[in-house]
Amino acid sequence: MDKSIIINGKKHTIDVDGDMPLLWFLRDRLAYTGTKFGCGSGLCGACTVHLNGQAIRSCVTPVSGLADQSITTIEGLSEHGDHPLQQAWLNNNVPQCGYCQAGQIMNAASLLATNAAPTDEEIDSAMQGNICRCGTYQRIKKAISDAADTLAKKA
Amino acid sequence: MSTLTKNTLTKSNSTISRRRFLKGAGVATGGLVIAVALPANALAQKGIMADNNAELNAFIHLADNGDTTIYCGRCEMGQGISTALPAAVADEMEADWQRVKVKQGDADEKYGPQGTGGSASIRVMYQPMREAGAKAKAMLIAAAAKVWNISPDNCYAKSHLVINIINQQTLTYGDLASLAKNSPVPEKVILKNKSDFNYIGSKLSRHDQDEVIVGKRIYGVDTKLPGLEYAAIIHCPVLGGKLKRLDKTAAMAMKGVTTVIDIPRFNVPFGSIGGVAVVADNSWTAQQAVQKLKIEWDLGENVVYNTKEYKQQLVANVEKPATLATERGDIDNAFSKASHKLQATYTGGHLSHAPMEPNASVVWVQKDSCEVWASTQSPADIQKVLGQYLQREPTDIIVHVAMAGGAFGRKYKCDYVHEAAVISEQTGTPIQLIWSREEDMRTGYYHSINAQHIEASMDEQGNVTGWLHRAAFPSIGTLFNPALVRTPAKNLNDITTHLFGVDNMRVESGDAKAHTRIGWYRAVYAIFYGFAFSTFADELANKVGKDHLSFVNQLYDNNNNKKQQTEIARAKAVLALAADKSAWHSRNNLPKNQGIGLAVHYSFQSFVAMAVHVEVNGDDIKVLNVNCAIDCGQVLNLDGATAQMEGAVVMGMSLALSTEISFKDGAVVNANFHDYPVMRITDMPNVQVHITDSDQPPTGLGEPGVAPFAPALSNAVFAASGKRYRDLPFKPLFA
Repeated sequence: MDKSIIINGKKHTIDVDGDMPLLWFLRDRLAYTGTKFGCGSGLCGACTVHLNGQAIRSCVTPVSGLADQSITTIEGLSEHGDHPLQQAWLNNNVPQCGYCQAGQIMNAASLLATNAAPTDEEIDSAMQGNICRCGTYQRIKKAISDAADTLAKKA
Repeated sequence: MSTLTKNTLTKSNSTISRRRFLKGAGVATGGLVIAVALPANALAQKGIMADNNAELNAFIHLADNGDTTIYCGRCEMGQGISTALPAAVADEMEADWQRVKVKQGDADEKYGPQGTGGSASIRVMYQPMREAGAKAKAMLIAAAAKVWNISPDNCYAKSHLVINIINQQTLTYGDLASLAKNSPVPEKVILKNKSDFNYIGSKLSRHDQDEVIVGKRIYGVDTKLPGLEYAAIIHCPVLGGKLKRLDKTAAMAMKGVTTVIDIPRFNVPFGSIGGVAVVADNSWTAQQAVQKLKIEWDLGENVVYNTKEYKQQLVANVEKPATLATERGDIDNAFSKASHKLQATYTGGHLSHAPMEPNASVVWVQKDSCEVWASTQSPADIQKVLGQYLQREPTDIIVHVAMAGGAFGRKYKCDYVHEAAVISEQTGTPIQLIWSREEDMRTGYYHSINAQHIEASMDEQGNVTGWLHRAAFPSIGTLFNPALVRTPAKNLNDITTHLFGVDNMRVESGDAKAHTRIGWYRAVYAIFYGFAFSTFADELANKVGKDHLSFVNQLYDNNNNKKQQTEIARAKAVLALAADKSAWHSRNNLPKNQGIGLAVHYSFQSFVAMAVHVEVNGDDIKVLNVNCAIDCGQVLNLDGATAQMEGAVVMGMSLALSTEISFKDGAVVNANFHDYPVMRITDMPNVQVHITDSDQPPTGLGEPGVAPFAPALSNAVFAASGKRYRDLPFKPLFA
């Protein structure tokens, strides 16, 4: 029987070589291009997606190991782009080129899911695997703090 | 004109018109393997999606419902130009920014110069784009006046409306769109006064960030077309080397691989150096297959290149008399009468731009068409080179300028697009070529490796009386003239015209032959000039027991060149501002292991000063705060300008502390971000940006912020610890 994988709530048959990293299955097979290629070695975080809610680097995660698992990409993080992090990203005008930002947001969402009120040090520690060459780190930090505040008010 | 070498490919000699191209280029249907989203303007190009908008001029389309599209001709790579310039258009047009959609213009001379570099976009296009907006406004007012049968003088425009002064009636821009199209285009328009600006000088959000945060923004790497094939490439590791033997058996045996293609060298400036590409049904397979190619290279003469030894040689070349470039006054006399003398040598390594999006494009060459979707800083150069290669008119090469995921100067050189075109010409299919990170790092156009030696004399009061400045670096000119053995005098002008007041100066050029491709890297030569000038000034100040701020002010005050007085005043003002906003004036109260360093540099016609506050523990340098002051004339987007300075601090910190490209036996040693350690969030200081309110014409923003960081950091570390760093990066990985 064909193996399948759930991406943003939708079931897809894994009809590629099982060694293919999830990144390329998403980008080249399914045209989910929001997830970016940056280094191919898990060094930059541009390809970050969620596996059952946890941030993973899709460029080094073979698709074969993900049968019946649930993947969320930036396209599926929220229905209307209204995740508190996405809103905080807009309010702080975080993106410059924006290429790394999907990975940054997905990584931050994974952080807030387990730690709703991270300290500055915890933000640094969680986000240190995500590179931004444009240098938007100050705004990323601020946006994550703002989103945590929003979540705290909702709670 | 140089010619392209090797071409085993069949050439179609047709020179086709744009019209014939449009007619011939139907969109393939059926057989879709993957979901396909064709960019909207491609559809319009092909006449599939009718463009009902009234074109008021090249930059402005106005629809019957008032929706306004403003085209940006300059390339967007994150510097925010596609927000700043269209906002200036909207301002003069009295358009409501909420009703404006920005589109990136394809390669087309109607947009003016599109090559995007040198921090020049706003400087070059501010006036023309404002005029485009003002002309559209005048056409809308003329149309309304005609409807009301009154003089245009009795009308004014505001918020997407034209208002009748006599009876307060209004017509919307949508009402007027088709009428305004037929209004005469005014030859001259009066631009708005600063006090009337709606958007210029305010804080604007990037026009498309709502697409970015949901992953819908399409970058060069994201283009999907029907029948798209994917390619990966490997280049000869040594510049000038050639393919000697290729065994593609193992690569071809991989499932999904369709072909292996030998890419010729393009003997044009910024041309591909050639390589071997693999085509497959996805990028990953193509990248894997490249690893399975068995290639023997004839490495060529640059195999002698080792940066460690080369840098030592550059140092030797500047620590002895070199070739005279320029001279003023009598430096020997100044040195003989000196009360104080000091000398120092500064170095820097090669840098790779390493934008997060590696080089990528999609190219589809067909018998009578060639269409390109690329992250690029130079669409016209793609047209020129591919036109030449395919023997077609440059205007027959359709170039869609994609959003670039960072560029920093690298994507001005579109070798990766040439390669995709060669592949597509052979396969007949649209080709997406994405360079691996390793290829991106190893086949670059690198920032010059460099050495500078400065000797200065001072009198008893600490006035600098003589300045000998020797610089050695392989220059960008070597791309066009590889035989250059040293940087020509004219390229050392930034030293000669530096704003410091030194009556007696000699500038010499040390030998530095290029062994790799040298290119513009964000801030270019200002990186090492800024480092040498502002660090040496600090060393001089220390030598005569003065503080940096008063010493540099004295250096500026000693400049009697009348033509430079305005610049000097602006440089001094930003330096004072950065110092005032930092803890500079109370620096003696800081903990013993903390210090503040200052630096100011004038580049790309802007003035930027930084006050960097550090804490030093042993070899560990922690940057706590950065206060950055900039005078870039009239600011278009305050938030965008602030963001550029924040980003410049980060890039400045990477190159000051850790990033360097090293060569061994002619090949780049670095491979990926593990051995090219760019700055991460953990090192981010608190950055405060202070922007001068200025009525001067707008000047550069993308680059000038980079230069002052490294010297300010060196000066701060010295203040905190007494240790002086003179070599960039301070902490090289491959020492």
